Amino acid sequence: MIRQTILCCGFLVVLVCGLLVSPAAAQQDETVCIQCHGGLPDALGVPVGEWRQSLHADNGISCHDCHGGDPTDFAMAMSPERGFLGAPDYTAVPEFCGRCHVGVLGDYQESAHGQALQAGGAQCVMCHGNHAVQKASLDLINPESCARCHDYERADKIKGILADTDGKIIAMEEELARLGKLGMAVEAFEGQLFDLRNRFHRAFHTVKEARVREQTGEVLAGLETLRAGVDEIDAGLGQRKLWGGVAIALLVLAGILFLQMRKTYEEDEKG
Amino acid sequence: MSPLKMLVDFLDVRLGVRDIFAKEVSGYLLPRRVNAWYTLGAVLLTLFGLQIFTGILLLVYYVPHADLAFASVQAIVNDVPFGWLIRMLHAVGANVIVIALLLHMLSVLFMAAYKGRREFTWLSGFVLFNLTMGLCLTGYLLPWSQLSFWATTVATDTPGAIPVVGDFLVEFLRGGATVGNQTLGRFFALHVVGMPLILLGLIGFHLFCVKRRGISTPPFGEDYLADELLPFFEHEEHPAGIPFFPNYVVKDAAVICFFLAFLLAIIFYLPGLFFPPSAFEPADPFVTPPGIKPEWYFLWAYQTLKIFPSEIIGLGVQGAFMTFLALLPFIDRGRERRPAKRPVFVTCYVLGILLFVAISIWGHYS
Amino acid sequence: MEPNLVSPSQRRNFLMIMLGGVGSLLAVAAGWPLVRFLMPSDTGDAASQVAIDRTLVTPGTAHLFQFQGRPAVVLQTAPGEFVALSAVCTHLGCIVQWQEEESQFLCPCHAGRFSTDGSVISGPPPKPLEILPVTLDGDQVLVG
Repeated sequence: MIRQTILCCGFLVVLVCGLLVSPAAAQQDETVCIQCHGGLPDALGVPVGEWRQSLHADNGISCHDCHGGDPTDFAMAMSPERGFLGAPDYTAVPEFCGRCHVGVLGDYQESAHGQALQAGGAQCVMCHGNHAVQKASLDLINPESCARCHDYERADKIKGILADTDGKIIAMEEELARLGKLGMAVEAFEGQLFDLRNRFHRAFHTVKEARVREQTGEVLAGLETLRAGVDEIDAGLGQRKLWGGVAIALLVLAGILFLQMRKTYEEDEKG
Repeated sequence: MSPLKMLVDFLDVRLGVRDIFAKEVSGYLLPRRVNAWYTLGAVLLTLFGLQIFTGILLLVYYVPHADLAFASVQAIVNDVPFGWLIRMLHAVGANVIVIALLLHMLSVLFMAAYKGRREFTWLSGFVLFNLTMGLCLTGYLLPWSQLSFWATTVATDTPGAIPVVGDFLVEFLRGGATVGNQTLGRFFALHVVGMPLILLGLIGFHLFCVKRRGISTPPFGEDYLADELLPFFEHEEHPAGIPFFPNYVVKDAAVICFFLAFLLAIIFYLPGLFFPPSAFEPADPFVTPPGIKPEWYFLWAYQTLKIFPSEIIGLGVQGAFMTFLALLPFIDRGRERRPAKRPVFVTCYVLGILLFVAISIWGHYS
Repeated sequence: MEPNLVSPSQRRNFLMIMLGGVGSLLAVAAGWPLVRFLMPSDTGDAASQVAIDRTLVTPGTAHLFQFQGRPAVVLQTAPGEFVALSAVCTHLGCIVQWQEEESQFLCPCHAGRFSTDGSVISGPPPKPLEILPVTLDGDQVLVG
């Protein structure tokens, strides 16, 4: 009987241990684009490494999403039949990016940059880069970058108008992330903030002071509403902490009282 | 006559409750030197009761389906009044149970309370410990978050290292080639009905063993005498002991209050302790989040598997270690229980704890 | 050590009273969240209006729908004239069925019969069916 129990137990133990965790991690599926270009030298391979660090990679936007082609078929990957586009010409870049970033494209085309495109005016990748594209920030407006074409003065002025509001947007992003980590339902807020941020960043692409100022007002009003929502959640959390503190204090007090009770019995036990 | 007395009289003439109480509760005598570590059983009973209670409450709103589970948990936490509290009590409560179980097991080991023909008490306790781990593992999947999904994927992948039957075992555990709705179904059934039923039965058997054989005397003090092992069954009595009720129950109650205060302190002041950000993202079978780590009490196992060159050796070492622990009372047959007279054991004990902590920390940062 | 003038049992009584107080506070602290957790949720549909596509309610047929959490029925008695009623029989709460040939509602549980205006024709129902306000808005029939 004991031997059987031991055997059963040993089996159970091994089984339970079998359930425990191993480091095997699921492999990410790689497209044929990456499999091939990843091993190529220089200009044909570098983009893969750059892309891996990019915002596009973080959001699951891969080679074929921009360049077209068939990411599942080695032979036909770069066939125009499968919609392969290749790399766009300098002047075709705004339309290339604008297939997804439609709002920005409209504002850009109205702007001095967009109007001067055929004459070598700035386009998307001049400031944002291409494969290594990062989340846009005000740091993209800087003397080195702007002074490649014109003097920095006007750009700096617009940056000045943007800076305060942009800072508030970033601060709000952090606030929402903090609440999200506590399990609060902030998806709706995040959606609103994403929309505000996009409208705000779009406005910059007109490079017109008046337009930027006008947008700033709307964005600030939107941020106020979000602020109120965040404050309400925080107030609720503060309340929880307060009442939680009371409950903890009561439990500790009850524990101490029980220990005192135990003491009275200990005295009886001695006597 | 007070209504309470009337009720007790009513029950007494039918069921003899006063007799049971006098024999098993107020007349249940504990050894005089009984210490605070002996309260952990009562603490665990309370915590398991809390798990069952909050678990039933969560079932009121939880939906066990891959498409709906995450949203239902989000709704419990954000929309149902005090749903966050019930959910936190359940999830954090599970972690506190593991802490209490480890303390309970370590104190029994240190006092060698598994000796003196208490093999069944130890064995049932050890199985209870593993069953609790199973409850933790199956419960982890139910919120259907990124953390749930990938922790379960990695955990159910491990048996794949076993030769011949490995692949079949993995698929059997998951109910399919990958973790999916079928996995949620079987884990839900195990977590909510299967394992709790076995757990309750085992707790009953564990308590029966404790009471039937008689509670062990702490191996401390000058007046300590080693158990006399006779060739027939003997109930260990403590005739000069202190009554369980009311003398010792108040100590149980005190430690229970402190444990509950500890649980609430984590819930209210360190709510993120057991919840990495991926716990709040819905499961996505196509995106593995970076740096998925098992829960803290599985870290040692996770790291052991990494240390060994092949997974099957790692699994073997873990299995051997757990089997050794399970069978300890059959292996360690000496009668001496006083820690001061068991230097080899105490050294192994301390080194073992340090090794567990070190491997866990290593696993956490690796 | 100074001798304790208060006997253990006296202290015990005092501690018992204190524990009773703390215990009842804790019971309230545990009971309140429990009651709130299980309270029927206020989904806010009590005040809401239900819009039904007009094509679903052809003359002579009845359309069942949920109104404020309870079954209700809407029918077109004459072209362009709509009536909405609670579909819950006033006898024991079964759901009434529309009898197209007889142009009346029949409760299948105990054969209560109601006319299209909700009044009781025969059977055990003690009260007529509740009439719900109906308005027309283009292609939509608005109830409530």
